[in-house]
Amino acid sequence: MNTQLNFKRGIRTTLFTLMVILFMIVILLPIYYIFLTAFAPSGKLFTVPLTYVPRSLAIERFQDIFGALPIARYMLNSTLLATFSTILALTVSLLAAYAIARLNFPGANLVMVGLLASSMLPGTATVIPLFQMYQTLNLMDTLHGLLILYGSALLPITTWVLVSFLRQVPVEIEDAAKVDGASFFPLLWRIVLPVIRPGIATMFLINFIIGWNEFFTPLIFARGAGVKVITMALSEAQVIGARSEFDVSWGNMSAVAILTTIPVFIITLIFQRQIVEGITSGVFK
Amino acid sequence: MFGQQNLSTRRILLAWLLVTPVVLWRLLTSVYPFLRTFYISFFDNSPVRRTFDFVGLDNYMALTRDANVDATLTFTLFFTVTSVALQVVLGLAIAELLNQRFKMRNFTRAVNLLPWAMAPIVIATAARWIFHQDYGLINDIIWRLSGERPLWLVNFTTARFAVTITDVWKNTAFLAVIFLSGLQGIPLELYEAAKIDGADGVRSYWYVTLPLLMPLIISMIIFTAIFRVLTFEIVYALTNGGPGTATSLLSYLVYLEGFRVLNFGYASAIAMLLFFIVLVVGVVGYGFLRRAWERL
Repeated sequence: MNTQLNFKRGIRTTLFTLMVILFMIVILLPIYYIFLTAFAPSGKLFTVPLTYVPRSLAIERFQDIFGALPIARYMLNSTLLATFSTILALTVSLLAAYAIARLNFPGANLVMVGLLASSMLPGTATVIPLFQMYQTLNLMDTLHGLLILYGSALLPITTWVLVSFLRQVPVEIEDAAKVDGASFFPLLWRIVLPVIRPGIATMFLINFIIGWNEFFTPLIFARGAGVKVITMALSEAQVIGARSEFDVSWGNMSAVAILTTIPVFIITLIFQRQIVEGITSGVFK
Repeated sequence: MFGQQNLSTRRILLAWLLVTPVVLWRLLTSVYPFLRTFYISFFDNSPVRRTFDFVGLDNYMALTRDANVDATLTFTLFFTVTSVALQVVLGLAIAELLNQRFKMRNFTRAVNLLPWAMAPIVIATAARWIFHQDYGLINDIIWRLSGERPLWLVNFTTARFAVTITDVWKNTAFLAVIFLSGLQGIPLELYEAAKIDGADGVRSYWYVTLPLLMPLIISMIIFTAIFRVLTFEIVYALTNGGPGTATSLLSYLVYLEGFRVLNFGYASAIAMLLFFIVLVVGVVGYGFLRRAWERL
């Protein structure tokens, strides 16, 4: 009787372990395959059947792409845009979130719903007038022009999440500070900010990832080499040294893919908990 | 009394001052351009031909005759239904998996997030290599198992599935995280009560877990469906909408008409069709959501 029960449990544990392994393979194998492609020596890229355990790795793809494209400049632009759009969006969202969560003013709900509704407006349904505006205002191919659009995309969710974080924090501390006569900005800086630091940190990580991964906005608004970002190098790397339209350099593409992905992987693996908290607090609270 | 009123006026003023930057920023970069798109959709507007002529409903009439729009709507429907269904089912399964207690659970949860963190354009471009007929990862596995090498991106049906599979791979993690959080919110006493009533594994999932998760599942279906309709990168980099127009989506069509053909008026009309579909999905979905809440 007891052995039969143990046997049944053993089967269930084995099945469960197999499912976890299958899940890991489905996620990690394609990523590993791109890694292999990026580091394959020239002659070893096209093999049938595939070699999953390479005998040697090479960095010539990376030398090629850094030689042919301003990759460092692209990565710097991506970093600048992701960082500053995040900081700007967090600053103005925090102000708005504080007003919505604490000041109890007529129209607070309207602002919340309006933000949510505006985030449902498809980017493709706003891009043509923005393109015309940017041409008239000379904002095309400028980092500050891109910053305005990057930041804009972050505002609705950031405000929503910060409101939800603020609502979880007791109001008493702020009231006490107010009685002491603290005026608004010191109050925000010294009392409110420290309490919702986890919320700010979470949204910083998520917004940075979103900004770093942006592609559609720079595709339309960043056409000069000086303002291009790393996600745009994928297609450019494919045609380095190409002899025809069908001559695609998968190795170079994979090398750019690796460069684009490493920063977000590091952030995700280190701050897994914070990111999950950010994702879920946007949905639940 | 007077002082009190004064204080509240000041508070309201301060509040509006604080929300102004966010509101203004969104008005200028989202709401105004959207209204302007609606306006342009009634014009023949092309920067190449230098036209801006009022044409009434001509652009919308052209939509109804455009075979590309037809094909795009067909694929939008296929892609949205298939991808959302797969993502919800797999998302629930992965959430259940990640909710169990096992060694390396934290690591597995982190791995689950990796596709979420990757840029859509990276995944879409890499997928083209992974679906490569001769040297791609997927065909290598299929070939080892069956000796066949399907032409993924050349045939209509397989190209559609390639786009869908890529999308599911990237986005299921997000749903799994949400559903996992939902699972963690269900009180354990409910499962104990179900156990006393004789419901084990599958039945307690069916009678306890699913009904309690239902509002969450429905709101995630709406959310996911809307973002399927808006998908751009996967189609842009993986298939270029092809073969022919088999995997064309509306965002991609707006991009083509607007920034390749440079036909702003017509592209704006397509963008309005896209908005209308998103609106319908949202409103119909909201109706379902309200009924699910009432039933709970």
